[in-house]
Amino acid sequence: MSTASLNGQLRDLYTEESTRIQQQFTATGDGRAAVQQRTRLVENILRRLWLEIISPEEHGPTGFALVALGGFGRGWLFPHSDVDILFLHASADAEPAFKDSIRRFSQELWDLRMKVSPATRTLSECDRFEAANVEFTISLLDCRYLLGDRDLFDRLHDKIIPKLVLREAQSLVQSLAEVTRSRHAKYGDTVFHLEPNVKDGPGGLRDYNVACWLALISAMDKLRDWPEPRTLFPVSTRKQLDSALEFLMAVRCFLHLRQGRDDNLLLWESQDEAAARQIGLPDADPTDAAGWMRSYFGQARSVYRVCEQLLEEIPAAWSSLYRQFQHWRSRLSNADFSVVDGLIYLQQPNALHDPEMLLRTFHFMAMHGLRLSTTTEYRIEQVLPSLAATPPRGAELWLYLGEILTQPYAADALRAMHALKLLTLLLPELKSIDALVVRDFYHRFTVDEHSFVAIESLHRLRQSDAQWDKRYAELFSELERPELLYLALLLHDIGKGTPSANHVEASLQAAQGCMDRLDLDPSEREIVLFLIGNHLEISATLRRDIFDPETVRTFAEKMETPERLKMLTLLTYADIKAVNPDALTPWKAENVFQLYIGAFNYLNHSVDERLRDDTEDDHLAQIRALVPTAGKKLKVFLEGLPKRYLAAYSATEVLSHVEMAGRLGKDPVQLLLERGRHWFELTLVTPDRPFLFASVAGVLAAWGMNIVKANAFSNQAGVVVDTFYFTDRFRTLELNLQEWERFKRSIIGVLLGESDLDRMLRDRMRAEKNGGTKVKVETKIDFDDSCSSRSTLVQVIAQDRLGLLHRISSSLSHQRCNIEIALIDTEGQMAIDVFYLTSDGQKLDSNQQARVKDALLDGLQGE
Amino acid sequence: MIKIEAIIQTSKLEAVKDALHEIGVEGMTVLEVRGHGRQKGHTEFYRGREYTVDLIPKIKLETVLPDAIVEKAVQAIVAAARTGKIGDGKIFLSKVEEAIRIRNDERGEGAL
Repeated sequence: MSTASLNGQLRDLYTEESTRIQQQFTATGDGRAAVQQRTRLVENILRRLWLEIISPEEHGPTGFALVALGGFGRGWLFPHSDVDILFLHASADAEPAFKDSIRRFSQELWDLRMKVSPATRTLSECDRFEAANVEFTISLLDCRYLLGDRDLFDRLHDKIIPKLVLREAQSLVQSLAEVTRSRHAKYGDTVFHLEPNVKDGPGGLRDYNVACWLALISAMDKLRDWPEPRTLFPVSTRKQLDSALEFLMAVRCFLHLRQGRDDNLLLWESQDEAAARQIGLPDADPTDAAGWMRSYFGQARSVYRVCEQLLEEIPAAWSSLYRQFQHWRSRLSNADFSVVDGLIYLQQPNALHDPEMLLRTFHFMAMHGLRLSTTTEYRIEQVLPSLAATPPRGAELWLYLGEILTQPYAADALRAMHALKLLTLLLPELKSIDALVVRDFYHRFTVDEHSFVAIESLHRLRQSDAQWDKRYAELFSELERPELLYLALLLHDIGKGTPSANHVEASLQAAQGCMDRLDLDPSEREIVLFLIGNHLEISATLRRDIFDPETVRTFAEKMETPERLKMLTLLTYADIKAVNPDALTPWKAENVFQLYIGAFNYLNHSVDERLRDDTEDDHLAQIRALVPTAGKKLKVFLEGLPKRYLAAYSATEVLSHVEMAGRLGKDPVQLLLERGRHWFELTLVTPDRPFLFASVAGVLAAWGMNIVKANAFSNQAGVVVDTFYFTDRFRTLELNLQEWERFKRSIIGVLLGESDLDRMLRDRMRAEKNGGTKVKVETKIDFDDSCSSRSTLVQVIAQDRLGLLHRISSSLSHQRCNIEIALIDTEGQMAIDVFYLTSDGQKLDSNQQARVKDALLDGLQGE
Repeated sequence: MIKIEAIIQTSKLEAVKDALHEIGVEGMTVLEVRGHGRQKGHTEFYRGREYTVDLIPKIKLETVLPDAIVEKAVQAIVAAARTGKIGDGKIFLSKVEEAIRIRNDERGEGAL
């Protein structure tokens, strides 16, 4: 037969059979059958060409063979995937004799419009490992005999490849791991893309192959021979992988046939059609695209998990550097967990029945960046059904969840909890966003993954060298309650899983349910709800003129306090960054920060606007509602206090101040000392007097306490409410409960003139030798007369040191200044203290300002 | 064909887009840019440090239109972007020699 006539026949055969395979797939949706049929079709064509061009016998000629590699070797030819073949020679001597035949053979295949990737090698060339062409050696792992010299193929398969793998296992695995990690990084290290690539994306078919290759190399290294394929994985893993493979095969076939080319991107239009045709899910109930995508993500997640576990486990067996690193990590082992090759194993698996132990496992993971071993995952899965009957909840759950959220690898721990369905067991409200695809032009990830990426973005701030990240990292370091910000990020989009048109409203509603489970206290709830409710506020404000003072004022007033402003700024940063890797442009990062600065300055420079009887305030309404009977007392107490006062304290705290004020007749100094999460809080309610603020700051310094923040407010009746937030440097109060009373008595003693503050301070100064400071902060004093109608603002920036606040406030009092409001803050070794001052009820004139400045400079520099 | 490059305030993007849609202009390219004209910069003090924004964030909107509707489009942009204050922006017009639709090689105004 002439070649032209054969080619015509083969073309007809190829076209007819391809159409038949397509029709059969359309009818059955069976991906595995489709790839097997195309494999057989291509084999048939190759055989006919072989007989025509190379040899009249299928098993001839001697010393030359045709071998299927890669996907073709596995017997999976997707409708438009490449056909990888190897022309194998026994030796280089015979190569020239087949050169023309090979060219004709390949040409015929290309003429059929088949995408053939031919390689020609001698047996000894196959034995060589080329670091620059790892793909070829890897493709040999799937080699399969097609035609020609069978003995030659057997030598390749039975001798050369096992020997090569034994010799090069370490390099092979390392190269494979490197290529895979960089491929994963290209896809953001996540399965949860809104439009995933089913071949190369994490959890796609390539990862299935990588898992098989890693397991195969590892097994060959042990057996020194080819293992039985079914033994590569434990049964449970095998079942998961088989199910995922069936699904992914169907999806890739569907995409190839739909697009008419080797296109593996699962775009929205394809998702709609795949869901309508129940691709990969022939026996499931019909579902919409979002439901179908959940199935996709479920399968891809299993593949990704196995691939990642093997990438962690197997390289460790060979790499000495890796072993050293893993050995170092194994030192993290403790009474509860042992760490082997970066994987967490349980010392006492039965302890998992205790929910606390379960949560501690994820806390350990979040803290050290480790992964769970397959055994640990299996054990966790086993205890979940019993846990589901009485899931942990309340303050204890919040304690652990809060701790997990603030650890550097929180996002990975959350992902693991989510993959094991523990997260949705603890917070069922998250179920609605599990692997949820919400289509828009900007988001790259599913809603749950978006939240994890946002949390990850904040944690990564600490390591980033990018200019804008550093600014945001600085802001982050000033947060008092970072765990609340992380919780808000976890919950900010849960409303997207509901049919509600307004996802912010729906998120607020669902977040309430979560916070009930976690038993958050009212002040914590208020912050989380504020953040969720306003999570689009900064983006909305950026569409206004952010240099217009009116825009800044409106925005800042919604924020109420600098702390909330900081949290919302960081939430917005993380939220935008998690949309897609390019979403937070330097342009946007700068604008968000610019708005933050404007609002921060507004909040600090406009705090003495007074409360009036007719002041409309939600917070005030809440306080009135809490204690309707406190009406008159409350009114008298609030009269003349600045609006900022209400923003600084919760309703319960305000009522406690009213009660303290009510007891002043009996006891002129009312003190409340509490231990917070990060510091102690001392609240003082007392009639105003000269040197009051300076005296309390002095007593705290004399006790060795480090004041990190302070607020001072006074009402029209001359009652002050001062709160000092301090850390207990010598753990005096922390370790000695009886010292609490002595501490309070010493404050009262100084305020009533019964104790000698100067002597106390001298004793302290003697006891402490002044240590050197790492950072030199230059003293700066600035006045601002424009930001308040009744006070003069002075901002003092100075090196933080013992007794600084006492020194500043004493200087101010010596200059006959009354501290109306004090906002004290510390940033590293820099103290930033803002005081609203009056003198004889008036603003300070320029002469007074000059005198105050000189006095402050003398006091601060004369040390 | 004329290319319109309009530098406008970020807050005016939506209004300008709407105004252009109303007169039938559908296609445009929007860029996030920074710059200043006579408006100069903006200085804030934050944590004792001077924080100067020399280049103010702006939006640059580009579109290429048939000569016949250019004036109408310019009027629409001016009306939507104007506040009367410094910093409202500028519009630049330049001639375009050819437009080619990549998908089907269509040329001229039909490709717009």
